[in-house]
Amino acid sequence: MYKLFLSWRYLTARRTNLIGIVGITVGVGALIMILSIMTGFLDEHRAAIRGGLSDLVITPIHLARSDRSVPPREPEALLEIVRADPRVAGAAPRLVWGGMISPRGAQTDLSEVYYSHPETGNVPVVQLIGIDVASEYQVANLREALARVSSDPASARHGVRDLDDPFAAPRDLDDDGIAYRGILVGKKLYDTFQLRVGDRVNVLTAVPDPRSGAVKSNNLIFTVCGAFKTGQSEIDSDIAYFDRRALAELIGNERSFSTVLVKLHDFERDGAATRADLEQRLDKARLIRGEGDEVSTWEDLRGSLIAAIENERILIGVMLALVLLVAGFTVFAILSMMVVEKRRDIGILSALGATRGGVLSTFLLIAFWDALVGAVSGAVLGVWLAVKIDPFERWLSATIGYQIWNREIYLFDTIPSRIVPIAVALIVLGAFACTLLFAAIPAVRAARLDPLEALRYE
Amino acid sequence: MSAPASGTRHALEVRGIAKSFQVGSETLDVLRGIDLAIPYGQPVALVGSSGAGKSTLLHIAGLLERPSAGSVRVDGVDGWNLSPDERAKVRNRKVGFVFQFYHLLPELSALENVLLPAMIAHSPGEYRAARAQLTEAALGLLARFGLQARTKHRPSQLSGGERQRVALARALIHDPPILIADEPTGNLDSATGERVLELLFDEQRTRHFAMLLVTHDAKLAARCPRTVTMRDGRIVGDTNGSGAA
Repeated sequence: MYKLFLSWRYLTARRTNLIGIVGITVGVGALIMILSIMTGFLDEHRAAIRGGLSDLVITPIHLARSDRSVPPREPEALLEIVRADPRVAGAAPRLVWGGMISPRGAQTDLSEVYYSHPETGNVPVVQLIGIDVASEYQVANLREALARVSSDPASARHGVRDLDDPFAAPRDLDDDGIAYRGILVGKKLYDTFQLRVGDRVNVLTAVPDPRSGAVKSNNLIFTVCGAFKTGQSEIDSDIAYFDRRALAELIGNERSFSTVLVKLHDFERDGAATRADLEQRLDKARLIRGEGDEVSTWEDLRGSLIAAIENERILIGVMLALVLLVAGFTVFAILSMMVVEKRRDIGILSALGATRGGVLSTFLLIAFWDALVGAVSGAVLGVWLAVKIDPFERWLSATIGYQIWNREIYLFDTIPSRIVPIAVALIVLGAFACTLLFAAIPAVRAARLDPLEALRYE
Repeated sequence: MSAPASGTRHALEVRGIAKSFQVGSETLDVLRGIDLAIPYGQPVALVGSSGAGKSTLLHIAGLLERPSAGSVRVDGVDGWNLSPDERAKVRNRKVGFVFQFYHLLPELSALENVLLPAMIAHSPGEYRAARAQLTEAALGLLARFGLQARTKHRPSQLSGGERQRVALARALIHDPPILIADEPTGNLDSATGERVLELLFDEQRTRHFAMLLVTHDAKLAARCPRTVTMRDGRIVGDTNGSGAA
């Protein structure tokens, strides 16, 4: 009984114990809050990347193998096989190419944009993506990205006229005799070139001649139908969408697709198996080269990016765990001091019949209370902050007059945060283990004290 | 030197106790073969000049310090033949200690200090079950020692005499067969010391426990029916009727 009683009394009677408790509270709270926010970011990024890439990506390699003919120029045969799989929710062909965009009749000095604009990194090479709108909407988040511009009253005039037919000609288009071809431009690129809906842009590209191998330049005039905004900076500044047939025309109709995006009903469950099955079937139908690198999951393609965020999360976790080490060390220092100060008490307890184990437990229990109070209040604080981080950040930013979190950089308007209960439990357990481990040293020292020496210590 | 009659049980029985310390290359013999038996209910004063080995004998008899040779039986139990935990239990249940410097825990109230041996003896469950009874016993002791108004005071809020009375109550909470006291009035003025001694001897007569009191105070020694005198690690006098050792 005395172990519980005395340890609690020693804890409450000495204010220095508060330092250890506060240290543990701050460490646990900060760990939970920051890991929750990092998890939230990871979720948001995964969602954004996944939305852009769909679940599976099929990229037939356009190189002839001795026993095979070159892959087909049209995607229909491939789409038929993919769509026949019941696990597939949708499949969309894409033609991906590179080029440059130059607004026609622009009043601004474009050399300034081309050579010194920070958004374009001096060389405004744009990824040109040709799509079939209906099937693209099934597999990727283009519709949402378009709606983000056209549904926002502040930017509606830069949005498309009709979300169901985004390449439809804008209203009041000047009839200047140029054949109409639509282009959808990422919002950042749109702003960089100071475009408006209905503007004509010259799209230039280089195409190798399959027969001679010589590279020739092609260009066509497109009309801006609207801007889209995914929230991911590199997509919004580097990508333009075209009707797939129109883009094929620009590159000389050498091919009409380069990849097929596939959306599954349940990627988590079927992703790996479907990837393997489709690869086998397409290989059998001689639609891919079949060397294992043409059918990928989105995780294969963006694995390094996700791994980087995950890595950062672990790194921050490890660094913050050092806070717990410091808190543990504080408990160690306070308990060591207490053992010296309580030498006489330890002798008295021994004289009154306390065992060495009892003395050890008493001092370990002080650390246990430190850890209990510190970790529980830290967990409550951390979870509360993780839940309330957004209003808290707004309040703090308003109070100090400095915007801590810049919402304009991200797709999401609120700071994302997801509490993982198992992580909270692990952090609390870690705090306990760390504190008790540090406390063990002074506690063992207390238990080893010679009671007589302690009693003579007057 | 006392030699208990055959068949007599003793509260404390010390046989052939020797204690030596190694000081550098030399061996210092502090106790050189002590035999002492104290029957139940007998107060014994242990006197002798400084360095005679009184305190060492007291610590060995109280199972706090291991002897180099010999045995100590407390209430019939061979204390130095037990495991450390069992020995701690004997110290808790069978020996009451009173120290010159009171040795109360400063963070605990007078009542909590008195209850401390009971807290050590019981698990949390047992203590909770017996709490009311134990508290009543402790309050009764404090009241008998005139401390009924001081039960919630911390030691720092008590006078020296009050502290020693709390220490006395703590020593008696388990009703031990033997009480060991090291200069119990050594730190008190004579009037306060006298008051404490009166209480101590009153309790001894009521409860009939044996006592081993180390003292330099001739008046205190005179209160005891038996005085054992030590010199150079040996018992040189015992007024138990059998003469010097």
